[in-house]
Amino acid sequence: MLTSEDKREFVIGSFVQLLIILHWLMAFFYAPVDVNQGPVYRIMFLHVPSAITAFGSSLGLCVFSVLALRDRSERLMAWSKGTAEVGLIFTLLTLATGSIWGRPTWGTWWTWDARLTTTFLLALLYAGYLLLYGSMAPGTGRTRVCAVLGILIFADVPVIYKSVTWWRTLHQPPSMIREGGSTMDPEILWTLVAGILVMCIYAAWLVRVRGRNIMLADEIESASYATLSAP
Amino acid sequence: MLVISNLSFKFRHRRLFHDLSLTSGPGDLWHISGPNGVGKSTFLSVVAGLLNPSSGAIELTWEQKSVDDRRSHLEYLPAEANGLYLKMDAVQNLKFWSELRGLRLDDGAIFGALEPWGLNHPLLRDGFPTEKYSTGMKRRLALARLDLSPTPGWLLDEPLYGLDQQALTVFRERLRNHLSRGGFALLVSHDLEPFRDLITGSMDIAKKGGV
Amino acid sequence: MKATAGNQYLTLVRQGLRAEFVDKERLISPVLFALTMLVLFAFALGDLDQSLRIRIYLAETLLTAIFALQISFSRLFEPDRQDRVFDLLRTYPISYTALFLAKYTLVLILGSATLVPTMLFGAFLHQSATIQLFSWTVLGISLLALAGLGALGVLLSALTLKAQARQILYPLLYFPMTTPVLLAAVQSARLCLEVGLGSPELKSWLGLLAAFDTIYITLGVLLFTELMVES
Repeated sequence: MLTSEDKREFVIGSFVQLLIILHWLMAFFYAPVDVNQGPVYRIMFLHVPSAITAFGSSLGLCVFSVLALRDRSERLMAWSKGTAEVGLIFTLLTLATGSIWGRPTWGTWWTWDARLTTTFLLALLYAGYLLLYGSMAPGTGRTRVCAVLGILIFADVPVIYKSVTWWRTLHQPPSMIREGGSTMDPEILWTLVAGILVMCIYAAWLVRVRGRNIMLADEIESASYATLSAP
Repeated sequence: MLVISNLSFKFRHRRLFHDLSLTSGPGDLWHISGPNGVGKSTFLSVVAGLLNPSSGAIELTWEQKSVDDRRSHLEYLPAEANGLYLKMDAVQNLKFWSELRGLRLDDGAIFGALEPWGLNHPLLRDGFPTEKYSTGMKRRLALARLDLSPTPGWLLDEPLYGLDQQALTVFRERLRNHLSRGGFALLVSHDLEPFRDLITGSMDIAKKGGV
Repeated sequence: MKATAGNQYLTLVRQGLRAEFVDKERLISPVLFALTMLVLFAFALGDLDQSLRIRIYLAETLLTAIFALQISFSRLFEPDRQDRVFDLLRTYPISYTALFLAKYTLVLILGSATLVPTMLFGAFLHQSATIQLFSWTVLGISLLALAGLGALGVLLSALTLKAQARQILYPLLYFPMTTPVLLAAVQSARLCLEVGLGSPELKSWLGLLAAFDTIYITLGVLLFTELMVES
């Protein structure tokens, strides 16, 4: 029995999936073949947007956390948790794609590139956030604690990134991402930009779905309590 | 004077108490009643400042002035716990808590506070970690801390827990003293006999409005 | 009916120190752990090439110190968790800034008591006729690192106070977030021992270390109060 809300969600979800399929087509057929790296370079279209989304999630987490501290609402904690989960997924995706890209290109599965290192540490932090969230009972205590952690994580990411970058410049390794618009074909650039946009939309949609799931679960739980308590 | 207005508390969408109000002035002993598990301890925790109510207000005025932080005028005694540093001795514990209230007490004053509770013996008070105390002794030490506290308001959650008859008598006297000096108290206790003649008001947590 | 913030601070510091001396295990085990680890490292590495000694010394001692410190940081609030002391503390009119600074001071005092012997013992084990491993500057650098690590340590300790999986959670959050401080400390110390005090890079790394410390201490004070207050 589908409500109109369910149908609406289905339409939105299908649209998001369509965007992703379109982008994949773009990545495979529109962007030209790279002379140096061959077809494997196309993983960049997955890697870079994932990275941006992973880090963007930390901003989202911070925003929800600040609002949650101000309003002390459980709803905002649901959004925060969803954002952290999505952030974790995208950091892991970034690491995996980075590793897969690195192997045929530079011969190693892992390199201590500043961005990858920071992504790895961010993955640990998201995992820590989720662990903390899961280990506390719902209530103002958990809201306070997790919101503070959310802010702390966001504040720490640039600090971590800066320090690792400084550390790496001493050793000057090859960079994972070749930047500079002048050396990049316009088709590649456009595919990349499109990818970033699509990934962000996808992530936002995931957060929305997840957030609503968590709120629904909370509602069910509170309904079960309602049968116990006196009016 | 402590004024509580329309206090409500919800825990995970479940309402524990609803719309409670009371006014407590000098000499008042309020009995907080209700069946087990209904939220009496939670109520005291909210008044003490440990928890936030979901709605309602708590105001404290003393000597005609409104008090910013009511914690400075309230001393809380939890049920089934005493707030003692278990690896430290009685004197160290009492000194610590009274220092936080701004009191600089010498040993004589501390010993004087321990005396009525039978804890003033040198073997019990110096170098004897409180984790080695019996349940009753720990409670008596917590009550000694209450004695030393300069605050006019006492929030008592099952103060008689673990006490023997003699300690009970001592506590009755201290409470009577406290009230006659202008202090007030909110009391949760399953045993009301010792306090019958001191109680000035009663509030039922389980009922909306407390009546 | 309350002490001034300054007096509260002193009372809390005294109580904290008392808690350490009264339960000697808390004081001694981090130091013992560190010294044992250093001896084990010495056995495992054997006689080292002169060119490597400095790096191995720094890696070992700072690593060991960080692990030992992490143990004492995560147990910072343990005396307060017994018998609902921490709850009673929150019903007293204490300034939470005073509480943070008191715990932070304890961390600095006790942390130094672990850090200094570790650095000295490590230098002693790896010294040779041609390489001087003891340096006041390096000691100073490690104490500077302690300043940053300590602020984070106190904040995380308060954060995970009510969490169930504290043993896993604390290191999971702690190590990623302390990376900047560690990197800056290791780099500065290495430059100091290998190149000398005149190195221009040394100044930048020291500046970075000081900046990280300031960030973490400020974040610590602000977020700690948020954690404690039920507004």
